[in-house]
Amino acid sequence: MNRSRAGRIALEGIRFRLIIVLVMVLIIGALTSENFLTLNMVHSVFDRASILGLLALGLTPVLIAGQIDLSVGSVLSMSGITTIMLQPVIGSVPALVCGLGVGLLIGLINAVLVVVFKINSLVATLGTSLIFASLALLLTKAYPVASQNPIFGLGLTQSIAVVFTPRALIFFVIAILMFIWLHSTPPGRHLYAVGGNVAAASAAGINTNWHLAFVMVLSGLMSGSAGVIQSLSNATGSPVAGSTMLIPAITAVVIGGTPLEGGRGSSLQTVGGVIALGTLTRLLESQGVPSYTQDICSGLLLILLITLDRLAISAERASTSRTHRRERVVSTNPKYSQERETHV
Amino acid sequence: MSDMLMAPQETTASTKEPRYSTPGTWFTRLAVPIALVTIIVIGAIASPKFLTQGNLLNVLNANSTMGLVALGITFVAVSGAMTDLSVPALVALGALISLGLQPTLGPVGAPIAGLAVATVGGSINGLLVGYFRINPIIATLGTGFVLLGVSQIMTGGGILYGQPSSLSNFVGGTMLGIPVFVWMFVVVALILWPLLSRTAYGRWVRATGGNYEAARASGVPVRFVKALSFTLTGFLSGLCGVLIALSNGQARPIVGAGYDFLALTAVVIGGTSLFGGNGSIVRTVGGVLVTALIGNLIILTGLPTQSRNLVTGIIVVAAVAVDAYFRRKATRA
Repeated sequence: MNRSRAGRIALEGIRFRLIIVLVMVLIIGALTSENFLTLNMVHSVFDRASILGLLALGLTPVLIAGQIDLSVGSVLSMSGITTIMLQPVIGSVPALVCGLGVGLLIGLINAVLVVVFKINSLVATLGTSLIFASLALLLTKAYPVASQNPIFGLGLTQSIAVVFTPRALIFFVIAILMFIWLHSTPPGRHLYAVGGNVAAASAAGINTNWHLAFVMVLSGLMSGSAGVIQSLSNATGSPVAGSTMLIPAITAVVIGGTPLEGGRGSSLQTVGGVIALGTLTRLLESQGVPSYTQDICSGLLLILLITLDRLAISAERASTSRTHRRERVVSTNPKYSQERETHV
Repeated sequence: MSDMLMAPQETTASTKEPRYSTPGTWFTRLAVPIALVTIIVIGAIASPKFLTQGNLLNVLNANSTMGLVALGITFVAVSGAMTDLSVPALVALGALISLGLQPTLGPVGAPIAGLAVATVGGSINGLLVGYFRINPIIATLGTGFVLLGVSQIMTGGGILYGQPSSLSNFVGGTMLGIPVFVWMFVVVALILWPLLSRTAYGRWVRATGGNYEAARASGVPVRFVKALSFTLTGFLSGLCGVLIALSNGQARPIVGAGYDFLALTAVVIGGTSLFGGNGSIVRTVGGVLVTALIGNLIILTGLPTQSRNLVTGIIVVAAVAVDAYFRRKATRA
């Protein structure tokens, strides 16, 4: 009796983790640093969250569909260097479009591998991640490329409307559009069904392959736009720009409350996760903590949260099993779950 | 139902035979020999240096540390946990500790400490994947991120230097004309090969990866088996790091970069499925030879070194696509 009550409290804690993490970061920040809760701070968190935020927003529908995209960092690097390298050749705007096109193309490759060749999305995107990370190094001979037209992207980081910069606004607008897509349109709602139970979704007449392909392509496009925006605003294309962004991006999505198991999540929660992680990073920076210690923090946070998610889901299954024992047998049947893993 | 019937058969049948005789088994059996012959022919045509004793010994020497990791990954893959992406961090920990603690623990104590810490790191992965049932790729990606941060704190982002000792001279030297690195790989492979193919424990590993629920129902300690695969990989990654650090006399946090993918490629080329159930050490040794020779070919033909990773990535995707294709065919039949 006692144990189940403690378990229920823990479950509630996991549900409200976004608020818990944010409030904790804000309290610690306000206590340790004098000018933490200022508009200036909000401005800087929003501005810098935009790049990580676009990656995390791209990952959110992928995770809702029960898949993963590990190539987001490599896509970011590839789009960034494409944009900067093509700038002197074809002009800034076409180069920008080409950068986005590269993201779309890699997303398409991932989609083909996952939907047509039926490779597990973890392994497929792990492979494409390695391929495009080394292609980025090959194309640039492992050196960062300086932009020939550094003025072009300058506007992206200028502040407009008090706390926003154009790139932060792009991030928020896309998050709202994605929220409308996921919650108020039939294709968006179908995505949750696909992530919750692929077999049931396709039995209900949903074209699951189309949904899976779409989220993989969308993720590529979003990472591509993150790469384009980052390289233009820094006026540099770095072949390793995205190499350490995968874990923070997944962490931001998971802090927001979209679990790796699929079928749940929301883009606005991801916005919250991105802001929470961004505030935490800003807090650590203001304390002079080196970047690898920040890596440790976001890595530990990720491991902690996915462990809690996992425990919460097994607890839920255990509690439903008392009433629907037969259902549980079906849903945890290993053959079925293995099929889902290898065939989807 | 058919899986339940398979289980008792398996204990009596010869363990040499794979459990499922799919078209894929023929493919995976012949792929490595064919690939080896093809590469040797191409290599002999492309470069006169390729088929010299010096070059081949160099190839073995340079790849036996990666091979050690691949042997560990084989256990992880066969037990159904795909791969361990924290390998670069575990290699770095082994390497940095074996040099950094030399002043306090001595030239032998420090490498032992390095091995121990990497093993503990591996068992953390094992705990997360085996007992908490977290997705192995995400879990090890996370622990790798954290442990790499830890190793960077240890060096402050710089390089650690070690003192030469009789142990480091031995590790970097040769025995009977063959480098000690190669001996290490051969000895570990000879220990692990019967462990996976001939013992009850090896059957547990294959059963866990083949059908998790059926294995658990038949009393296999599935959680422990998965956890131990990661612990073994941690130990072998640590050994890899210790060997590199001692023979080079220096180490930095990026020492292990790329080992995860190279080892994964070797395992996959060998024909061990990432989704568990079958695979063997012999296949992985074949896979290590193929990846090693491909890498050597790329260097000898003067292509940029980054193209090795490009080729590696393409091979992984292609091999997994083939595996997925045969698996679907097998389940339909």
